[in-house]
This record gives sequence, structure tokens and C-alpha cells, in this order.
Amino acid sequence: MGNARNTEAPSGTAGWLVGAVVVVALFALPLILSQLGRTGEYWIWVTTEMLIMALFAMSLNLILGYGGMVSFGHAAFFGVGAYTVALLMKKAGAPLWLALALAPVTAAIAAAIIGWFCVRLIGLYFAILTLAFGQLLYMVVFQWYTFTGGDDGIHGIPKPEILTPIAYYFLCLVLFLICFLAMRMIVNSSFGLTIRTIRENMERAKFIGVNVRRFQWYNFILAGAFAGLAGGLLCELNRFAQTEFLHWSKSAEPILASLVGGMYSLVGPAIGSTVLIFLKIIVQQAHPSLVETWAIFLGLILLAVVLFAPGGLVGLYQRLTGKSET
Amino acid sequence: MADHVLQIEGLSKSFEGSQVFNNISFSVDKGELSSIIGPNGAGKTTLFNLMTGYHVPDSGRVLFMGKNIAGRQPYDIVRLGIARAFQRTNIFPRMSVLENLLSTVITKNGGNLNVVTPSAKLKSAHERSYEILESVGLADVAHRQSGTLAHGNQKRLDIAVALALEPQLLLLDEPTAGMSPEERWQTVELVQRLWEDLKITMLFIEHDMDIVFKISQKVRVLCYRTLLAEGTPAEISSNEQVIEAYLGEEV
Repeated sequence: MGNARNTEAPSGTAGWLVGAVVVVALFALPLILSQLGRTGEYWIWVTTEMLIMALFAMSLNLILGYGGMVSFGHAAFFGVGAYTVALLMKKAGAPLWLALALAPVTAAIAAAIIGWFCVRLIGLYFAILTLAFGQLLYMVVFQWYTFTGGDDGIHGIPKPEILTPIAYYFLCLVLFLICFLAMRMIVNSSFGLTIRTIRENMERAKFIGVNVRRFQWYNFILAGAFAGLAGGLLCELNRFAQTEFLHWSKSAEPILASLVGGMYSLVGPAIGSTVLIFLKIIVQQAHPSLVETWAIFLGLILLAVVLFAPGGLVGLYQRLTGKSET
Repeated sequence: MADHVLQIEGLSKSFEGSQVFNNISFSVDKGELSSIIGPNGAGKTTLFNLMTGYHVPDSGRVLFMGKNIAGRQPYDIVRLGIARAFQRTNIFPRMSVLENLLSTVITKNGGNLNVVTPSAKLKSAHERSYEILESVGLADVAHRQSGTLAHGNQKRLDIAVALALEPQLLLLDEPTAGMSPEERWQTVELVQRLWEDLKITMLFIEHDMDIVFKISQKVRVLCYRTLLAEGTPAEISSNEQVIEAYLGEEV
């Protein structure tokens, strides 16, 4: 019996310290921003959106980075979460807490149905099927005017009186942190280890007794549930739900975020998502005419990442500090 | 019937019209250390694939402990008690050596639906993993990324993973392939020692006739889509048919 050393990368006390500083900073941020008048208000809105999109990116990474499953249809579950909140609050008069609690549930149900078919395929075929299902759902929402409002979307979602922009930021932050801890628990658990064996070597995983399809299915459902909560939160932030939330281009966002941030760590996609949103705003504010050229900047960023930092920003950091990637 | 761990009955398999096996039958006794030899392309690995659920036979039965397992899923067959190590090393390359074992031990114990307990804190699974690593001589490199190990050690890890499944029948597909002569005999000693210690049934595929004749109690020769011969090393090495068809001028 050797020394029972930790199998995880030795994050240890230093990791916890950095985490604590970041959390304190995230709680202090809106209080500072609120002193800055109109600009501050705008940035509180932006940072709230950043938290939500970071959650969305992390949810995809459960299947992408940890499970090795490339999905082009993850926005479907984001959209289902958003429309759940929109419909429950606008049409059924449900309170926000109930709508937000049900968003991950309906998204998980959608993921269970879609995932049941998709996990029967692997690699590119899996990716194409997720794309097909995602676009199918998009078309249904687009066409079904009487229920979803079609391409008009659903506007004027009620906002509870007490929910000031700062309060909503804190709500999103707390939910983000809870989800972060939950995902951290999942990826470090026996389940998480099993998911990684499938990513590493699907054939061998079968021959150690893993029912690969079933575990991929469970993972797909979990990822869908977290995406659903993110969609619900964005719906309430914008006070509308629209078909764009389900579009395949929305599915690309967390993939790009994972590439830029690094998909073999939990925080990588969150960092990538935040950096991309920040850069996009900087580009747009530099000159209004640059709005149309964002795609060019994005392309250059991706090119740089793929060529010089294949492990994303987190991989780059690990390389510079001499830590190994998992 | 009594002491057969495995019975192959009338097994046939074709791929895209070309027949690999035609009506093969044989039995493996409990506790036996035996080998399968044959020229390249004789279907030795395919035979393992049929036993472990990777391929489904066209006809015939694979009885394991009296139960037909032909056509069942690999993960199902593993749970019944057949484990295999692969010809081309088949591990989880970007995970540590310990994690390779840990994930297998956890799966074997049916604990991989646990989403709460950190896998790093599962004490008994860790102890069991170290125990197996020590038995194959890999405990020193437990924290190395397994894909960075030397080829010989990766093959050992592959065997260790199979052992962690506590099989009743262990299938080893060319356990010494690609090794230096020195590593080969170390591996042979390891296989023989494990067989003596664990008292499990082992069936291995091997090209090196010195190894085959040294450690097998029984040798089976696959050739021309059939089982050409079956017997003790002495019987096989003096079998006219085998010499003509396979061993040739070598012996």
C-alpha cells in the first residue's frame, strides 16, 4: 500500500484561496459598478449575462470536455429552459422561483428524449443528430404561433418588484456558484471518473463493464438540466424568450467558449465565455461599424487558440505555471 | 460438462462473405492455463472478440459457466466474469495509472452511479487498486499519466485493469507483443505467477513458440478456418499436421 495521495490535480489550499478571492470580488463587483451611474447599470446587466452564459458553457462542457461528446444542439435545452420560464410566468402566472425551479426539469426531460436517440450514435454522427434535433425544436417553436409566439417570441415577462438589477445579479451569482459546486462534485465523483473513461477510450470502457450508452445518456440529461437553468435565467434577465435562444448558432457559443477557455477543466469554459463576451463588447464600443466585423475577430481569436494554446486559456496557464493538464 | 469454464460449440463467423471460422468447437477446463496459436489472419483475436461480445457469431454457441453468452453486450459479459487484455494496448491514456485501476475497481463494485463522493476519497477502492498495481509491479508509477509509460508497462497496466475485474476467465491477447526479449520473459513470469496465485482460468494468444510450449498446459492451433489440433505442448510439437501447416521448418 503506497501513500494515498490525491488523484486530482493538486489544487489544494492555493486553489481554494484563489476561489475565495474570485467569489468575494464577484459579490463586490455590482456594489462598485452601482456607483458609476448609467455605465455602471449597463455593466451590471452585462456581468449578469456573463454569469448566465458561463453557466451555459460549463453545462455543455460536462458532455464536451469530460464526456468527449461534441453536441451541436445544446441550445435546444437552453431554449426549453427559457420558454419554460416565459410560458409559466406570462401565461400561467407562476412565480419566478417556481418557473426557475421547473426550467431545468423540463430541459432535462427534453434532453432525456433527444439524448435517448443521440447516444446510439458516436462521433460526427452523434454531433449531426444533436444538430438535427436542435433545429427541429427550433422550427417547432418558430412555427407554433399560438403557443410560443413564433418568431415574435414572448415578451413582457413579469419581473417581481423586489428584483432590482443588483438583486437579480446576486440571484444569478448564487445559482451560478451552486451549479459550479454541483458540477465540481459530479466531475470529481465516481460517475465523473466513469464519464472520463468513456472519453478516453470508449471501447475499453465497455470492456471494464461500463454500459457506455447509459452513462452518456445520464450525462447528456445532466448537461441539459444545467443548460435549462441558464436559459431560464437569461429569459428573466431580458424579460423575453425568442427563437434565437434555440438556434444552432446559440449551440456554437458554448463550444467556442470551451475552446477558448480550455475544455479539460471546470472553469475553462466559464472563463472562455466571459472573455469572448467582454471582447465582443470592447470591439463594438471601439467603433459602431465594427459590430458587423465581430465574426472576423472571433475567427482570429480561434485561430490563435488552436495554433498557440490548444488547451485554451486554462491550458496556457497550466503550461506557464508548470502544472499538467488532465 | 462439470468443470468446463468455457465451451465453444459449432462457432461460425464470416465478414463480408469471407469465412473466418467454420464450425469450431472446444472446451476450456477450469483452472487451465492454455494458449491459442496459429498463423496471422487465422482469427485468433476474432475468437476473443466473439467470446467477449465484440462480435456476434453467425451460428454456434459460446457457453460460459454453462450459460450461452454469444451476442450479449461486452459490459454484460465482463460482469459475468470474462476479462481481457488487448493485443494493441488499450488503456485510458490521459488518466493516471491509478485512475485506470480506480475506475475499473469502482465499475466492478457497481459504484459508478455515485455522483456525490469524490473518487479520490474512496479508501477501499484505492487500497484495492494499489494492491493490484503492486502485484504487477506498477505501484511506483501510480501517479504517472498512463499514456506516457513505456510500452511494456502499458501492457502490464492493461493486464492489471483486466485483473481488477476479478475474472474467472482471463483472456490475454499476445501479452508479450512488441516487447524486448528481456521484457518478454518478465511478462511470462508475471502471467505464470498470477495464474498460480489467483487460481483463475487463463487463455492466451501468443506467437513466440518458446513461450507457448513453456507455460501452456494445453495448446490449440487455429488454421484454415478450423481448429487444426488441440493437445499438450509435447503432442502439438510432434503433430504432423501442425508442423506441415504452421510450425514448418521452425521446429
